[in-house]
Amino acid sequence: MATINSQKDYYAILNVSLDADVDEVKRAYREKARDYHPDSGHGDAELFREIQEAYEVLRDEILRRAYDRQREKQGLSEDAPVGLALLQSRTVALPLDIAQILYVLVEIQSHAEVQKETTRRHLNVALVIDCSTSMSGARVQHVKVAAADLVESLGPHDRLALVAFSDRAEVLAPTHPVDNPRIFKSALAALTPSGGTEIYQGLLAGLKEVRKYASSELVNHVILLTDGRTYGDETYALTEARRAASEGISISAFGIGEDWNDEFLDDLARIAGGVSRYIRTPSDVRAALRRQIQGLSSTLLQNVKLEVNTAPYVHIQGAYRAAPYLEILEHSENNVFSLGNVMADEPISVVLEFVIGQVVTGERRIARLDLIGERIAAPEPIRLRQDVNLTFTLEPEEESVPDKLLNRLARLSVFHLQERAWKALSAGDVPKATSYLEYAATRLFDMGHRDLGQAAMLEVNRLTHGGDPTKEGRKKLRYGTRSLTSPMR
Amino acid sequence: MTQKGSKVVCPSCGAENLPGTLFCIQCGTYLPSGGPLRTEPLPEQEEGRPARPRQEGKEGDEAWALNIEVEVLNTGRKVLLSADREILVGRLDAARGIFPELDMTPDGGLEQGVSRRHARIYTREGTCFVEDLDSVNGTFLNEERITPYLPYAFRDGDLLMFGTMRLKVHIYPNL
Repeated sequence: MATINSQKDYYAILNVSLDADVDEVKRAYREKARDYHPDSGHGDAELFREIQEAYEVLRDEILRRAYDRQREKQGLSEDAPVGLALLQSRTVALPLDIAQILYVLVEIQSHAEVQKETTRRHLNVALVIDCSTSMSGARVQHVKVAAADLVESLGPHDRLALVAFSDRAEVLAPTHPVDNPRIFKSALAALTPSGGTEIYQGLLAGLKEVRKYASSELVNHVILLTDGRTYGDETYALTEARRAASEGISISAFGIGEDWNDEFLDDLARIAGGVSRYIRTPSDVRAALRRQIQGLSSTLLQNVKLEVNTAPYVHIQGAYRAAPYLEILEHSENNVFSLGNVMADEPISVVLEFVIGQVVTGERRIARLDLIGERIAAPEPIRLRQDVNLTFTLEPEEESVPDKLLNRLARLSVFHLQERAWKALSAGDVPKATSYLEYAATRLFDMGHRDLGQAAMLEVNRLTHGGDPTKEGRKKLRYGTRSLTSPMR
Repeated sequence: MTQKGSKVVCPSCGAENLPGTLFCIQCGTYLPSGGPLRTEPLPEQEEGRPARPRQEGKEGDEAWALNIEVEVLNTGRKVLLSADREILVGRLDAARGIFPELDMTPDGGLEQGVSRRHARIYTREGTCFVEDLDSVNGTFLNEERITPYLPYAFRDGDLLMFGTMRLKVHIYPNL
């Protein structure tokens, strides 16, 4: 007799629609089972067991009906475009007289039928281009080509504005449907680098353009391209980003080269529900923009938030985004974590680190998780709920930590080590920074990332000889380690 | 009813972690396997003599596709490896993201001193090379310990040793 776990989204696990018939379920199962069989190249024993469990329930009419009913009761069966799945480091534990740790991987994945759906979201985008003196030469040329490429990829149902900024902002092309690409392309020709970098000015002008036509039917977004450091206006920019997020406008920030302020751009993007990217060479701008537009047009949910309600004896020690890239999530007082947009082709996952206080035996709900997101052109937000349960018993059975969770945690811990190094450094604690970087290097060599390990050692050497870390090394480590969750071969 | 819990002491940096912690908060060491599952250094006398770098053999300029078959001598297991890309020799460890093409776990790799990332094997212009990845117990080619991070050419019939794990290699052209 198969067990039913209504907390798991069997439909998402098998990648089938809610109304899939038995044949479809069978087909999907065979395909998945083959892909994830522990003996196959990229097997995953944990996932394989889940696939089997899902299949056993969904192929059986009676079990499936019981499962659907349970899901309905828990408000899980809504016609949501995404599913919420949990993986815990343990499901049983000893009741201890001291605090203990539980890790939970929360995965937000789009359902298969949504992924196949080809309806592209219409965009309302402002491209805000840094044209300070430092952009002269190859950089501005590559940006022009990339922007022209972006214009080509949009259609008459999309809206675009082009803004250039240095010490001041200039609207090269005001928001307009992209029915005539030539207008935008000729506007780009006017782009001539001069002056300094004041990001706030550019951001403000970009947001103003997007606001003109901002609506819940469109994906409203600002893409900021910069290669320099802004001085003194960071707080204004971050305040503006918060305001934009509350209006449903997201912001992404792309930094070219080594001189921009990584922490600031990461914060800006995180606050406004977008992404930040490090573009090492100007020739990569085009690919990055193209990918961004593709992602935006596959937006499923906007302004996604994860609400975590913990039991009184539990608190959250850390919350991290684990995919698409690693990021320490801003810790709010009421445990609401902003996750930005969910795209069809880019699942989001979050790692939560719970500290559980003293408990006695029995089954306990450690936390209740609610995912809330706005669907494009839908009045009501979507709400998905999952509980984190843990059974405390004096004789817990041996269980292994799911591979997937372990994998994420391993990378997260390296990312965290180097982040703490930079933090210690900005607080002036060089010995602490050095030791964190050394630990990070050891773990990186251990994991086979020689390149990143060497980069960390290089910075360690500079620090121990009284020098400053290199901007390049810092960016390489920060953006290299945060991308470690992308599958490695 | 509760039980007396105790902090988990990291074997590599000594930091105290709450029970249930999987990666040391101080140094990132994986805690459950940080202790007993680490590759333990083997006794001195089993390590063999230091090696001299070997001459790299060249078999012509054509790029040959080769198949390498290794026979694990203690278990008799034979593995056919395609050498069109690099082969990592070691022990599988999902937590560290280590997925060797040649996983020595089933042959008792841990007990015989094989590191997680022990060595790599690759071909260049029809010649097979083995490179030790600074493993704890070393890599040996025909009973001689090779210097870490230097490529050593090997031929059909040669004996490779990872820690104390002995393997015989057969090389076939992939036609």
